[in-house]
Amino acid sequence: MGRLTVVGTDVDIAMKPGETILGALHRAGYAATSGCKRGGCGICKFDVVDGAISYREIVADTVLSPELRASGTCLICRAVPEDDVTIATRPESTVRCVAPFLTALAR
Amino acid sequence: MTILRMGYVHARVTDLARAKDHYANTLGLYPTLEDDGKLYFKGWDEWDHHSVVLEEGGVGAIKFGFKVDQASDLDGIEARATAFGDCTVTRMSAGENREVSDGVRVHLPCIDHTFEFYHSMTAVGLEVGTHNPDAFPRHLVGIGAPMLDHALVIGEDIDTAARFFMEVTNFYTTERAQTTLGDDAQTIAFWLSSMQKVHDIALLRGPNGKLHHFAFQMRDWNDILHAADIFTMDDVPIDVGPTRHGITRGETIYFFDPSGNRNETFAGGYTSYRDRPTIVWTADQLAKGIFYHAREIKESFTTVFT
Ligand code: FES
Ligand SMILES: [Fe+2]
Repeated sequence: MGRLTVVGTDVDIAMKPGETILGALHRAGYAATSGCKRGGCGICKFDVVDGAISYREIVADTVLSPELRASGTCLICRAVPEDDVTIATRPESTVRCVAPFLTALAR
Repeated sequence: MTILRMGYVHARVTDLARAKDHYANTLGLYPTLEDDGKLYFKGWDEWDHHSVVLEEGGVGAIKFGFKVDQASDLDGIEARATAFGDCTVTRMSAGENREVSDGVRVHLPCIDHTFEFYHSMTAVGLEVGTHNPDAFPRHLVGIGAPMLDHALVIGEDIDTAARFFMEVTNFYTTERAQTTLGDDAQTIAFWLSSMQKVHDIALLRGPNGKLHHFAFQMRDWNDILHAADIFTMDDVPIDVGPTRHGITRGETIYFFDPSGNRNETFAGGYTSYRDRPTIVWTADQLAKGIFYHAREIKESFTTVFT
């Protein structure tokens, strides 16, 4: 499996198969902007800078429009990286470490 | 003219199979019909055919149904809604909604939500029956939610919407949140009741057409705690709680269905009366009003909806 990195942060996580980006961040001791955690509210939008993601669950077009998808916006609560992936926060989103001992375990 | 209760919520879900698992197996609602891509559910303590309708495609609310006491009440609603203006009023025929009588449909552009008023629905019966009933069904599933309670909808012009419910459907305001106590205060939210529940519908200022949550009535605080335990077992994302609302005094958990629509389990809350003074919350104390213990506005409560 690939690694997840977040531009401008120290996030560098070894992903597990089928894991969502938000799931990996939580496992690695990070808090990240999210709401419903089920792909419905659109609060957890991040930009995919490098790499590819896919969705294992249906994400409504009203939540993530085809245009946003095409321009590299993803919902981290539902996005599953295909391999190495680098994402970036948007002005309204944040990632921060809340449990460093978990971060060390996920490197 | 009396509105008995919010009888149904019709919502969109992204995946019917996952939704069915949540509403039937986690919430413990009884599936009553699966037809034309829609799922119908009722709670064990409800007697009408359904209180939740789910339709595949998208997220959020499609419409809400209010049951009136008498068929003749519909004429008054139609006349008053038409006179009220600022809304589209249409007659709906029996069967347009499966198992639901004819009625009146009102779309309020001021908040971009649709409400239907109907006088009867196919009777299915209480799960405990009506003859010498037991206290609850012996084999409840999941949290065994007894019945639908209320919904909180979001829209831009909640003042007009609140006026509609008071003038057209004879609701009264149990509680209201506003910026200040001053004359120039702006309203933030309304809690509106038809009979003695602390609210049948609530309105929150925000983007038009959005659903904040719909709630199921639980028996008490013990059942709320038990529900939270079941949510953990079933990996249901809990937004807030279990805790108490200052507003309504209700005991609550907010959580999300598999499509991200927010649900609530709601217990307690005081018995309201039409002549009870309206409770007012000011913006500086709103956090206590929303979450009585944390006294902090959780960002997701004010920014996350479908
Ligand atoms: S948290 Fe709601 S869409 Fe991701
Ligand atoms: Fe509620």
